[in-house]
Amino acid sequence: MTAERVADNPFFVLGVSPEASRIEVEREAQKLLGMLELGFEAARAYPTPLGDRPRTAEAVRAAVAALRDPYQRLVAELWARHAPPVRGGAATPEAAAGEAPVVTRRALGWCP
Amino acid sequence: MADPNPPVTPLYVGIDLGTTNSAAAVFDGERVSVVRNAQSATVTPSVVRLDKQGRITVGTRARRFLEQDPSNTAAEFKRLMGTGQGIAFPAAGTTKKPEELSAEVLKALRQDIFDQLGVNIERAVISVPALFELPQSAATSEAARLAGFARVELLQEPIASALAAGWRADGDGAGSWLVFDLGGGTFDASLLETRDGLLRVVGHDGDNFLGGRDFDWAITEHLAAQLSVVPRRNEPGHAGALRALRLAAEDAKIELSRNERAQVTLANPLRIDDQDVEVDLELDRATVERLCAPFVDRALDVSLRLLATHGLGAGKLAKVVLVGGPTVMPMVRARVAARLDAALAEGHDPMTLVAQGAALYAATAGLDGRAHATAAPTGRQIWLQYPAVSSDLTPHVVGKFIGANPPTKIRFARADGGWTSGDASVAPDGTFLTSVTLLPRRACTFAIEATGADGKRVETSPPALTIVQGLTIGDPPLSRTLGVALANGMVQTYLERGAPLPARRTFTHYTVETIAKGSEGSVLRIPIVQGELSQANLCRLVGTLDIGGDAVTDTVPVGAAVEVTIELDRGGRLSARALVPLIGQVFEHVAHLLVPDASPEALEIAMRDLRRQLAELRTDAFRRGLASVIEKLDHVEGRLAEAEKDIDAAHGGDADAAQRARRALLDVDGTMADADLSRKWPQLEDSARNTAISASSTVGMHGTDAERSLLQEVLAAMEKARRDKDAPELERQMRLASRLSTAAFNRTSEAWEWYFADASSEIGKARDLPKANALVAEGKAAVERGDTTELRRVVKGLWALLPEDSEARKKGFDSGVRS
Repeated sequence: MTAERVADNPFFVLGVSPEASRIEVEREAQKLLGMLELGFEAARAYPTPLGDRPRTAEAVRAAVAALRDPYQRLVAELWARHAPPVRGGAATPEAAAGEAPVVTRRALGWCP
Repeated sequence: MADPNPPVTPLYVGIDLGTTNSAAAVFDGERVSVVRNAQSATVTPSVVRLDKQGRITVGTRARRFLEQDPSNTAAEFKRLMGTGQGIAFPAAGTTKKPEELSAEVLKALRQDIFDQLGVNIERAVISVPALFELPQSAATSEAARLAGFARVELLQEPIASALAAGWRADGDGAGSWLVFDLGGGTFDASLLETRDGLLRVVGHDGDNFLGGRDFDWAITEHLAAQLSVVPRRNEPGHAGALRALRLAAEDAKIELSRNERAQVTLANPLRIDDQDVEVDLELDRATVERLCAPFVDRALDVSLRLLATHGLGAGKLAKVVLVGGPTVMPMVRARVAARLDAALAEGHDPMTLVAQGAALYAATAGLDGRAHATAAPTGRQIWLQYPAVSSDLTPHVVGKFIGANPPTKIRFARADGGWTSGDASVAPDGTFLTSVTLLPRRACTFAIEATGADGKRVETSPPALTIVQGLTIGDPPLSRTLGVALANGMVQTYLERGAPLPARRTFTHYTVETIAKGSEGSVLRIPIVQGELSQANLCRLVGTLDIGGDAVTDTVPVGAAVEVTIELDRGGRLSARALVPLIGQVFEHVAHLLVPDASPEALEIAMRDLRRQLAELRTDAFRRGLASVIEKLDHVEGRLAEAEKDIDAAHGGDADAAQRARRALLDVDGTMADADLSRKWPQLEDSARNTAISASSTVGMHGTDAERSLLQEVLAAMEKARRDKDAPELERQMRLASRLSTAAFNRTSEAWEWYFADASSEIGKARDLPKANALVAEGKAAVERGDTTELRRVVKGLWALLPEDSEARKKGFDSGVRS
């Protein structure tokens, strides 16, 4: 259950940082829903500390709805900040040791 | 002649299919206008008449026949939607279903739109009450299909009202809003919040049995009591006289909204018990207000309860939006403003606000109402994804060119010439992603300009797109938790209350009995329930998915996997599917999606049963001196007395009253379950304390940092629920704490050894003893080796072989599956 909680974290699903503003969250969700509808390869999976997870329109909707609720957002922020570094996505196995967090955090748009 | 270049601006249509009146509105991206009917009125009575030639009349003209020819004129059929109950039209010698009658009203509105705008409408948003049950929503969709709509979305009425009221609000309008919707037969209170141009539904509450009709009946009974022969509701022979009196009462009530006095005079005497009874009475505003005030107070009690649930009190609201005919009464407006201590939103038409909001929502959902031309598209086809309405000033536009060799560049030019996007590159697979800039609170059209690899301009289809900037609403939330009842009497939750729609969820269950191929009697039942409690018998059964022996291609043994998927569309329409991988078959026919029939006899039996339970609970509550429980039970007493009156009227042939009574009894049943839970409060509090202690120590020892932080949150929520004496919430938080604790515990090796010992001690009851014995042997070996993964597999295998308790299964609506 805990693993699910980490992997299904709305911030991971949407690929935005826990500092994202409400409007950024909405904009990202709208973009992802459009990309999923048109079958964009890039939108089909998202990196999490447990590796890549498939992204569905339902998951995106649930994520944005959760972040609209102040209490649920607080819990999600807490989990996202405590979560181990993200694995999968752009990271290569060699880079996983030291580089992965930075690479994937960048892929997620969490750091420049 | 058809225009070869039809305008690209979409037209969004909203329909309020009401119990008493219906209305339609259209939104063109800039302005919302209410559609007028042939009589130039903005509302059309939801009344349908069938004459002896089978000709259909709808609206004001049909309403005139309600008094003269009531047996061939139907009104208030919306309340019977989803019941499967037919409405007879003896003159035409036919019976119509409620959805067929609703379809006639929809057809009339569709025709009005055509007459006024010359546009044939195929898609629309139709509003439904917030507390509509799933079968009623399904019947509404069916009515739209019968009326010739290709696609409709359903929207909850309070969201529609708030959207319409918020759209016109000046300034940012931030804060909490209450929509107070007192309709003909139902009352809905909804709490909303607007922030950053996004409207969010915080919560709603309501009373399905409270509305303007209660006002009318109270006035009717007051008038009836003054006649020389008093007509009674439980006497079928008096129905005609009461109907005539009620229509007169309704007219008098409307007149008293403007004047101090009204005369109630009928042209023809009433015929009661073979006597002619003259009606010539006077009614004054003060009397009507005195008669109606208790109903308004009941609505206000519900509203304050909703505010309290969300930590708000009177005086904390930014605005109150009034919706529905009865809210026109000055007394209602004054009482609401005074008790809620809030400003009323002015300048809205309470009769058409819902239709206007539905039209605005159609834009949010991108549901263009126009029938699309089938002419071959000219230019390179693009699939586009963009929000039709956006609160964001710079939304994304995502697109894909169809076919090989797409253009290489694309840009968007706003029609006012004030802004053009830079060139966005198109990927070799035809996809592109860019954003556009909108003007605040305006509809913006953008021309699409694509360029090929040769640098030449490429025509596209569509050639342009339109986005409206303004208030938007998040996906509508599910009003009640939806799940599947299991054989152990518990519920597997699929979609939690508040989940955004559309939503879909799949879980794998396992059969607890064999489905024998070819055997008609062998049916595996998957009950679908709605409700907030974890015990199935405290939830409402809304449908069942049956897998019958006559349908399976091969026998399905005990323990076979069944993947159940439950799906709800934006309007809350339910579909369910069960896949049995073993035989590769899918079952998706959801049966019994009907509101059950309510025969007066069955209602009386239920009433007697509830009275008995009530007496028991009351005695017990008095003995223990539980004041809060006694208060709850007093409320139940009042509801039962009302339901009794309705059952009386049901004996007189009033099918609508029978449905009201049925739902009142269901409600009472729910309240009593609640009261029962409060009665068990001391035990619950005890077990909450134990849960907190054991979760703290388990999570403290074996949990991760995140689990520990989360447990702190859960413990705080448990403490709050305990202080508020909120039993269902405390139960829910306890479940969360137990889940956290279980997750931490399962990470240890002792956990599985303990589960194994527990399961092994019960193998005498296993369905397949040899298999269970083999598993126990494998488990022992795994314990010696310290192989937790293997032990986990063994334990799960053992659990699958142990039977469910038959008592529990009955409570689970005879469910044939377990988790």
